[in-house]
Amino acid sequence: MSLSNAPLFIVLISSEHEKIQMAAMMASVGAVSERPVTMLISMNALPCFERGLAAEQRYVGGRMSDVMKEKGVPDAITLLQQGKDLGEMEIYACSMALDVLGWEIDNLTEGLFDGPLGLTKFLVDAQDGQVITL
Amino acid sequence: MSERTKIDARGAFCPGPLMEVIATLKLIEIGDEIEVWSTDQGTVKDLPEWCAKVGHEHVETTQQDGYASLIVRKSK
Repeated sequence: MSLSNAPLFIVLISSEHEKIQMAAMMASVGAVSERPVTMLISMNALPCFERGLAAEQRYVGGRMSDVMKEKGVPDAITLLQQGKDLGEMEIYACSMALDVLGWEIDNLTEGLFDGPLGLTKFLVDAQDGQVITL
Repeated sequence: MSERTKIDARGAFCPGPLMEVIATLKLIEIGDEIEVWSTDQGTVKDLPEWCAKVGHEHVETTQQDGYASLIVRKSK
């Protein structure tokens, strides 16, 4: 059985390093495997992408987070950037979360986000794809 | 005449070896090959699966001392 071409929609809401890393891995591999990927980043995940934060300041995590840092596993933002460069991936900031924080797209990691997105548009786009929430 | 590019991805974690192969595929000609060395345990299944999915040829996998060597031919 091979991977389908069904679009993948990932909702990332956690600030846990392990969940953000897993989301970035799935998004980047999906994008380079001819599955268009759309990510919506909201809730506690969004402040992790604040512009200017170093990788060690960005996440909270447990045992695997410590091991990944110790072993030098590539940062989630690096994986997401690779996915965008090599495949079909769009990353959006939840417009509600931006409003609550009082932030604009310019407050987030440079070059990573395709803009703000509302939940209604995301759900309409996602209705024929596979949705994963982390 | 086809050429072969070698990638030493030993020590890179998933999906690093796959990403390196994909980035290199964009730079070579159809018919050229990539030989990638990987210590990541997932690569020996993931890379042939990826080739089958997107239409490149997985030529062979050989197990070396402590790493796997996989050859991919660019098909499109």
